[in-house]
Amino acid sequence: MKKKERVINALTGKPVDRTPVSNPTNVATVELMDLVDAPFPDACRDPELNAKLAVTGYTELGFDSIAPYFSIIQESSALGCEMQWEQKDNWPTVRMGNPIWKTPDDIKIPSGFLEHQDNLAITKSIEILKKEVGDEVAIIGKTMGPWTLAYHVFGVEPFLLLSIDDPQKTMECLYKLREITVLFGQAQIDAGADVLVVPDHATGDLVSGEYYKRFLLEIHQELVETLPVPLILHICGKTIDRMPYIAESGMAAFHFDSKNDPQEAMNAVDGKINLAGNINNPETLYSKGVSDVKQEVFKALDAGVQLIAPECAIPLKTKIENLLAIPEAVEEWTLKKH
Amino acid sequence: MAIIHEGLSEEFKYVTKPNEQEHIGSMFDSSDLLMQQIAFNLIKGKNNDVYDLVKKALDEGYEANTVLDDGLIAGMAIVGVKFRDNVIFVPEVLISARAMKAGMEHIDPILSASGVEPIGTVIMGTVKGDLHDIGKNLCIMMLRGGGFTVHDLGVDTKPDEFIDAVLEHEATVVGMSALLTTTMPNMGVTIEAFEEAGLREEVKILVGGAPVTKNFADEMGADGYGSNAVECVQIAKDILGVNKG
Repeated sequence: MKKKERVINALTGKPVDRTPVSNPTNVATVELMDLVDAPFPDACRDPELNAKLAVTGYTELGFDSIAPYFSIIQESSALGCEMQWEQKDNWPTVRMGNPIWKTPDDIKIPSGFLEHQDNLAITKSIEILKKEVGDEVAIIGKTMGPWTLAYHVFGVEPFLLLSIDDPQKTMECLYKLREITVLFGQAQIDAGADVLVVPDHATGDLVSGEYYKRFLLEIHQELVETLPVPLILHICGKTIDRMPYIAESGMAAFHFDSKNDPQEAMNAVDGKINLAGNINNPETLYSKGVSDVKQEVFKALDAGVQLIAPECAIPLKTKIENLLAIPEAVEEWTLKKH
Repeated sequence: MAIIHEGLSEEFKYVTKPNEQEHIGSMFDSSDLLMQQIAFNLIKGKNNDVYDLVKKALDEGYEANTVLDDGLIAGMAIVGVKFRDNVIFVPEVLISARAMKAGMEHIDPILSASGVEPIGTVIMGTVKGDLHDIGKNLCIMMLRGGGFTVHDLGVDTKPDEFIDAVLEHEATVVGMSALLTTTMPNMGVTIEAFEEAGLREEVKILVGGAPVTKNFADEMGADGYGSNAVECVQIAKDILGVNKG
């Protein structure tokens, strides 16, 4: 079975020869940047460098998917947010302390949004990757959900305060920002993305499960109807309490964090959505060794997690050998089971 | 324990651990209805009411420290328990913090003018590459309320900025925050920088942030870890050997 087919089948509930190893969020590292001479931040802004780095997820790590959107800031840059592009060993970020908007009325998608350098870096890279390896490996695009976009354009604290002070205005903001999610998501589908990740950080570290239901469930259901590829919802942190709601979203999979036990997560979603995850980044992939990584992979596989992946974007100085241990562990587990 | 405010009494039901019932309950031992109204309105995030009630209390002759301890900090202690136990989340904590800030507008100038010696001096910052600051800001507010002098280095703080600030302010505690798994390793990098500068023995280093765990803190070589902003005050006191509860 080809890698691409394995990923798509897992996401659409069809049979697979083994559990796919996926990367809904980034697996690029400093080592990989050096290997192909495509360092951050240039690899985030230049389509050719972006594609060179993204393809290493397949050529060097042997994952079943590749993901060219390494961070979470491309469309926020195109919207005019103040950016901190950082160096090779640090993630580009939005300076959320200096938000660009205050109210729903401020939300305006700039003309030429999709032609902005930082959005083109992704769509053009997807086109390159589609030509190079599109038949072999699944290409996972990424478009930020409205909740995450709201953090970027309004600032985290002002937006969370707004959610209590004026829930109606909060909904208005989310529905307007949803248009950006759709616009950039569709552009990546048009460029050749097989799957889209929708990070929308309504995490249990910040808000309640009821918040997810109240503010986002319906919007996510609409995204599923609007964007014609399998969608993977990504939310970091503790999410068990909202998984029963997420399971109703219609998304093809939920990419979950190591703060949630894989078996508990499987129980919480009750077969209504696939799960992708949840190998710990800071303590395991970054700090520990190959055998520890493999033990976590086995635990997720034993629980029945449908796509194995790091829990979130990995620390950039993560060792390649620890990432290679993920597909190795999946192969070992599969051989043992069959 | 003597909680006479009905709403506060309901809120106190969220405090279920016996040791916390005793500790937080004792905060209300000597408080009257006005102090309990302040605590209750702070828990509910009613910043305008807290602003008015604190002003009223001070006008009526209450000591600033009494209003701070029996009203604002006692209320925040219940907020901390509710947050830790997932009864409330960050938005609800933020409105309580906003209410505390409103009350502190009246109290801060009085405390500053009183010349009371701080418990200790703390340098706080979010680590390099990380621009999140809600948790750090809550910690700072609680530490200041708890009697510490805090110098806030803001977000994206480089190791040498932490070191320079410790030297400049003769601080004995450093608090580092990170919200991203990708930036958490910079806590370890900063601790190493203190070692290389020969200052590691001079300061106690505390870490926290949503993805940070006790295990990770230990691995990075931190002296202490706090899972929420209310905890950080007691941890800072413990680490400095300050017994005041």
